[in-house]
Amino acid sequence: MDPLDDLMARCSLRDQRAFAELYRRTSGRLLAVAMRIVRRRDWAEEILQESFVSIWHHVPQYDRVRSAPMTWMTTIVRNRALDWVRRPQHETSDEGLEHVVENWADDAPGPLDRLRNDADAGALNDCLGQLSGQQRQSIALAYLHGLTHTELADHLQQPLGTIKTWIRRGLERLRGCMDGAT
Amino acid sequence: MKPTHPELRRRLAAEYVLGTLHGGARRRFELWLRSDPALRREVTGWEQRLVPLATTLPEVAPDPAIWRRIEARIDPSRVQPKPAWWSNLAFWRWSSFATAGLASLLFAYVVATPALHSAAPPDAMVVVMGDSATAQPSMTVAWTPEGRGKTRLRIRVIGHAEMAPDTAWELWMLPDGNKPPRSLGLINTHETQVVDLPEDLRGLLNRAAGMAMSLEPAGGSRTGAPTGPVLASGKCVKI
Repeated sequence: MDPLDDLMARCSLRDQRAFAELYRRTSGRLLAVAMRIVRRRDWAEEILQESFVSIWHHVPQYDRVRSAPMTWMTTIVRNRALDWVRRPQHETSDEGLEHVVENWADDAPGPLDRLRNDADAGALNDCLGQLSGQQRQSIALAYLHGLTHTELADHLQQPLGTIKTWIRRGLERLRGCMDGAT
Repeated sequence: MKPTHPELRRRLAAEYVLGTLHGGARRRFELWLRSDPALRREVTGWEQRLVPLATTLPEVAPDPAIWRRIEARIDPSRVQPKPAWWSNLAFWRWSSFATAGLASLLFAYVVATPALHSAAPPDAMVVVMGDSATAQPSMTVAWTPEGRGKTRLRIRVIGHAEMAPDTAWELWMLPDGNKPPRSLGLINTHETQVVDLPEDLRGLLNRAAGMAMSLEPAGGSRTGAPTGPVLASGKCVKI
């Protein structure tokens, strides 16, 4: 059983102390998710705040059979961050983006290394290992940094069609591999 | 148009979760999701597959002010409350006006039923609730202030009421001393209905300042306090 399940159940009964504990345990990881996508701390903190208010109001409808607590909360934060970064007034500077791509290789330890060291990430890690380096990189950049096809094409200096193909084939292989592994 | 081809559905769900589906296509996909449980399962599957990428990121500690702001937003007792509708004197003025004339007229209607004729009719408590929009009486609530056992509220909905889909009507008692409203349960649109309340609520009800009915999501308020607009309200009078 997920250690957060009990906290989620108490939160759905409007237990504010359980909610404070849920925040204490998960806000650091969720802020990291938002920061990768919006690339500004103040924006990321605003997204974190709005996400937790939304989590509090929606936790009575949370279904633990459908998804684990961390998956559910990460989805709320990522969707808010993606909506935020795609509004014209919130476009992040290209400098930030250059930084993301340049540091991809020596992001220490890189996202793929961290996956390797995480017990829960075994299947994803094994299956990402079966993709080509280009497929793996474009999927991870899109998921973690919220890059669109066009942004990926610009920054990986590849035609748009090539990027779309890498992602489509990469996702198909990833699904086949992970569904086969479980 | 909603996608039906399985391969296309799978691809859209994957790219939605990845974040590469954006703009109008993303909004349209979110609309389809609402009415397509199979597509939602496809999306949940991708969320689970990819989430380890996000949860293995190094943590970033948020500014402590963020939690204080969240706390203030979810716990209204920590912030200065706005004056609530039930403490607004002007709100009650018309309602007492309406009550004075109507209570005696309604007495025969709601209280003096044939069953009560054999004994001396007991006192009755009546609330004539006025519609918030039209100020016309829209409902009456009556009960016997004395007696043992559960407290039976007899409710009469006046006119042909209609309830919007996915909503509920919740009846609230406004205790004396300006305390927050207390739920008396959900009511429906039937012309006559009864709500049985525990005996120990009778004392509180007899001293109540009034009652109100609010519009709530299906199943009633989730916060324990009225969350929607007040559709009707009235003062309690003894007749």
